[in-house]
Amino acid sequence: MNRLLFLSLAVTSVLAQAQQCRARASWPTEKWPEALVNPTAKAAELKALEDYAFTLVGKPEERKGYRTNALVVVKNGAIVYEKYARGWDASGRQLSWSVAKSVSSTLAGVAVQQGLMNLDDSVCKHLPEYADDPVVCAIAVKHFLTFGSGLQWQEEYEDKGYQVSSVIAMLFGVGHKDQVRHVLTHRKLREPGTQFVYSTGDAHVVGALAKKALTAKHGPDAFWTQLFEPIGMKNVVFEEDLAGSPLGGSFVYATARDFAKLGYLMLNDGCWNDQRLLPVGWVQRATTPSETFRANRGDCSGATLPANEFQLPCEGTPNGYMWWLNRPPADGVEKPWKDAPDDTYAALGHWGQRIIVIPSEDLVIARNGDDREGSIPVNELVKLVLPLVRP
Amino acid sequence: MTKTLLTASLAAALLGTGCAQDDAKLRTYDNNDLELAVGNAAKMNCTCRFVMLRDEAYCADWVRASPNVARFAVDEANKTVVGTAFVSWTAKARYVDDKHGCVLE
Repeated sequence: MNRLLFLSLAVTSVLAQAQQCRARASWPTEKWPEALVNPTAKAAELKALEDYAFTLVGKPEERKGYRTNALVVVKNGAIVYEKYARGWDASGRQLSWSVAKSVSSTLAGVAVQQGLMNLDDSVCKHLPEYADDPVVCAIAVKHFLTFGSGLQWQEEYEDKGYQVSSVIAMLFGVGHKDQVRHVLTHRKLREPGTQFVYSTGDAHVVGALAKKALTAKHGPDAFWTQLFEPIGMKNVVFEEDLAGSPLGGSFVYATARDFAKLGYLMLNDGCWNDQRLLPVGWVQRATTPSETFRANRGDCSGATLPANEFQLPCEGTPNGYMWWLNRPPADGVEKPWKDAPDDTYAALGHWGQRIIVIPSEDLVIARNGDDREGSIPVNELVKLVLPLVRP
Repeated sequence: MTKTLLTASLAAALLGTGCAQDDAKLRTYDNNDLELAVGNAAKMNCTCRFVMLRDEAYCADWVRASPNVARFAVDEANKTVVGTAFVSWTAKARYVDDKHGCVLE
């Protein structure tokens, strides 16, 4: 009997610890504390970082190189480095591009934490206007959250021409007025959850699902009252289409300091100021390669398909719940960011938008830019920031 | 009976093959470049001006796309942007509010 009681108490204690939030001396809800690195002691490290991230090349209209707008580094809960360029300052809202996908994922987590949505829910539970469509209703929330809807999608930009891009048609073309409908009326190509297909469309649906779930209880400003405001993201803009669906794969705007707060929420296991905003275990699952990714990460055979066929890229960076992970994508394959710690994960967007989180370093890096030639590599950025913030 | 079954199996196999090939085909969308260009010009300029609060020169460079055929007109008072190309092609974006930014109409 005593043994049973002891076991029961031990289990209860472990569960309580799992649900507890990490203690912090302060939370940056109103303002980030600052503990800037010593510019003299770290002169060489600062120069190396700034030469890499802030040196403009060519004429502005040529849009060459890494064109950083903002770089904010948060270590142990305080800003240790911050710099702006190209006419930007701390108050400027930056375009997220696909960092929005990680924002949408987090909003879905808030809905799950509040019991308003379950990852196994059919999409049709939250979007009842599709209740007559058996293909859509067979897809669960978790499938969209892991880029595994199974619906046809061509995340093309310019390589094969604008007319074959599902995403450009959605944002600016035939699908722009009702973008969730554009996604959900694509035909089924695979069983849900069996193939990772990076899709701005899937992320749009996650945003729409989160909105439906949260606004039903909290009203139209639920994204702000339930996530952005509690963590001090004060000036977030989340754009919508004409049908009122959030454009959760592409169009969120916030300051670099505020994007760092989203990373800080993840770093703190979904807790903020002793309040749990994300479910216990959510961050762990969001930053572990998803079942969909592990099932099939694309065409890694090396074969080239004919030009009139769509070839899925072989994805070399694992993905959890719309967060990119520094894990080997398969046995015998190297992790994507070789100089970054294994526990590094990131929200990544077009033109070099980045929120990089490294729990083992208690570190968040938020970077916004306008890299038209190719986005600034995560590996190089981390490699240059680590010596700056380490003793 | 066996012959019928064989024929049916063959037909099913061929149909199956046909579907598989069809599934792999690249889908095309009924958009032309001008339609996409004016949509991009209107939406992104609206966002650049009224959400990111950049000036006209910054936005003109930021939105410039290839092919660079779209022109745009900003209505500061009503917070709208109209993108045009070769007279016939137009798109309009309008600023909604400080939470929802711009929408492409």
